[in-house]
Amino acid sequence: MSINRFSVVVAGLAVVLALSGPFAFSANLDSLNAGRVGIQSAGPMAFGPDAILFVGDSAGAAIIAIDTGDRTPAKSAAKVDVKNIDQKIAALLGTTPDQILVNDAVVNPISKNVYLAVSRGLGPDAVPVILRVNAAGTITELSLDNIKHSVARLEDAPAVDAKDSRGRGLRVQTITDLAYVDGKVFVAGLSNEEFTSSFRSISFPFQGVSKSAGIEIYHGNHGRFETYSPIRTFLPFQLDGEPHILAAYTCTPLVKIPISALKPGKQVKGVTIAELGNRNRPIDMIAYNKGGQEYFLMANSSRGVMKLALKGLEKFQAITSEVDDKEGVPYETIAELQGVLQLDKFDDNNAMLLTDDNGSLNLRTVPLP
Amino acid sequence: MAVLMLAFAAAAQSVSIQKDGAGYKVAGWNPGSEDPPDGWSSIFALYAGEGDVPPMLGTYSVEDEVLVFRPRYPPTPGVRIRAVFRMPDGPPLEAVFQTAKANAPPSTYVEHVYPSTDVLPDNQLKLYIQFSAPMSRGEAWKRIHLLDETGSPVELPFVEIDQELWSPENRRLTVLFDPGRIKRGLLPHEEVGPPLIEGRQYTLVIDSDWRDARGVPLKEGFRKQFRVAPSDRVPPDVSNWRLIVPEAHTADAVVVRFPEPLDWALLQRVFDISGPAGPVAGSVAVERDETEWRFIPAEPWRPGEYQLLVDTVLEDLAGNHIGRPFDVDLNEFNQGMERVIPKTVSLWFWVGEK
Repeated sequence: MSINRFSVVVAGLAVVLALSGPFAFSANLDSLNAGRVGIQSAGPMAFGPDAILFVGDSAGAAIIAIDTGDRTPAKSAAKVDVKNIDQKIAALLGTTPDQILVNDAVVNPISKNVYLAVSRGLGPDAVPVILRVNAAGTITELSLDNIKHSVARLEDAPAVDAKDSRGRGLRVQTITDLAYVDGKVFVAGLSNEEFTSSFRSISFPFQGVSKSAGIEIYHGNHGRFETYSPIRTFLPFQLDGEPHILAAYTCTPLVKIPISALKPGKQVKGVTIAELGNRNRPIDMIAYNKGGQEYFLMANSSRGVMKLALKGLEKFQAITSEVDDKEGVPYETIAELQGVLQLDKFDDNNAMLLTDDNGSLNLRTVPLP
Repeated sequence: MAVLMLAFAAAAQSVSIQKDGAGYKVAGWNPGSEDPPDGWSSIFALYAGEGDVPPMLGTYSVEDEVLVFRPRYPPTPGVRIRAVFRMPDGPPLEAVFQTAKANAPPSTYVEHVYPSTDVLPDNQLKLYIQFSAPMSRGEAWKRIHLLDETGSPVELPFVEIDQELWSPENRRLTVLFDPGRIKRGLLPHEEVGPPLIEGRQYTLVIDSDWRDARGVPLKEGFRKQFRVAPSDRVPPDVSNWRLIVPEAHTADAVVVRFPEPLDWALLQRVFDISGPAGPVAGSVAVERDETEWRFIPAEPWRPGEYQLLVDTVLEDLAGNHIGRPFDVDLNEFNQGMERVIPKTVSLWFWVGEK
């Protein structure tokens, strides 16, 4: 594989499309069993191979793999444009827009249907719902009543009913992002108690009670200090022929970490490649190729959407001095993309955005900048 | 055929849409035995709310020759439901159903904000906001403010995590000060400095507009004033703790006193006691502004040696935990992250006869 060549989360897609018929899917799909999905919350999601959807369930302390069965390739010119999608979702679910939360939006890389993780209700009894939006803008529910799925419990996470007089049942590992890469689901999380990094690698297909030992992520390059650094959002990508993740810490630096270093029980130090500075809340990232160049697109709270070139990143050394070279890799701001709440790659030429435009949510595709 | 047509026309006169328990039915119309080609939703659909919206999710059934729709999710009280029956060969029939919006009086309030102390280090890491009842998600970052001495809001003092770090019942929210502004050497720290400045006074303000899980605002807002002390970069050291040991055959508390306040939530769960008969069951209280931990055994103490096992994940207010400061100065700790920190440390005490 040449330098800078990308294969993003859906690396297996080309193979899947080439091998039509039952044999293509067997290994991953065979690991899933039909039945009711005991999901307690629907948070961050990611697509894996064979249109399998991984859903992060923070309340249930689990990752759930679901066979969406949605394996019909999209027509080439598919686009999505659904205005006021919050109103439409609320109507489907018999409630008001202020009683739903869209926790994540991801694109099925095969069908190009958009999947939404939704909470119906805002309290502790909120009902998790997974919705599917097709190119025509029709929204349907992915029923979890009887569907092929499997569950990986997050080790060490206490069961919700494990309450005792010691307040142990109050601890939650909130899943902030997840991704599938080459047979592994990587999960970033943040505790509501101790400030440590919780990054897990879980083999897929899930094997019984999945061992998902944590990986301690440190942030070692801010001046001469190092700290635990929980990862907020991350993106798998290929760098110099080696799989990496690009990760945004809760404390704003953007770092690269080789996936080979992400081993259960290990301590890992990310290499800072950019500092986003204050007032920035990294939300979502995608990677893409345009005109033979590889780029990252990152939505964040205050700077609109940032575009970074991958070129030179493989040679990029850590930011080490405290003030002089803070900028790190150069980036450009795509100012016209404002209010982005969710971002995913739609196809080779388009991104999917969920935006908040003056209080109403719109789902649409836009050309990659 | 003519007779059938007449019968249908006669029936159509009395067709009505009625709410029936959790379902909605078309009374006075016989749907026949076959599903319509475009599905029942093409004939009978219910719309929640206003505007151009898709029909509510739900299931259709024909029961005793009556078409019944049952919503997938019970409509939220206060939502306007418009039911439309598109009668074959007839004008559409509409009915509107609106249940009263729950109108409960505000009763939820902020019980407490931890740390309890009114003196916080300038590298304070987190706050816990404890509510009297479950709260709604999705608006925390609009409702929490930090004001400086002049009453001006401090800009973005907290990490605004979309997911919001709630306890399972949504009664306790964890709020992290922006670690980028606390960690030395980072751009936000250099650019805008830490959110708290030593020597100054601040007020944490929680708006009464914040909705509880019922959608009802808080009974009242909440304010907590505090003063800012110098940075704390020293990890808690168990050798500085004071143990007050009970006597055998009593159910008195064993008490641990710390020279500084420690993390309230972690204090609830990071200690374990085992003795001559194995693990000791009991209850925990955290007192004196989180400088004291008390453990009351379920059964009287037996004489003998006891081990107090402490998980080193325990943090002080600045996120320093046992054996490791929040940010390690590599000039002082050459080994840096490779240093091995034990998972637990132990304190031993002896419970004796009077």
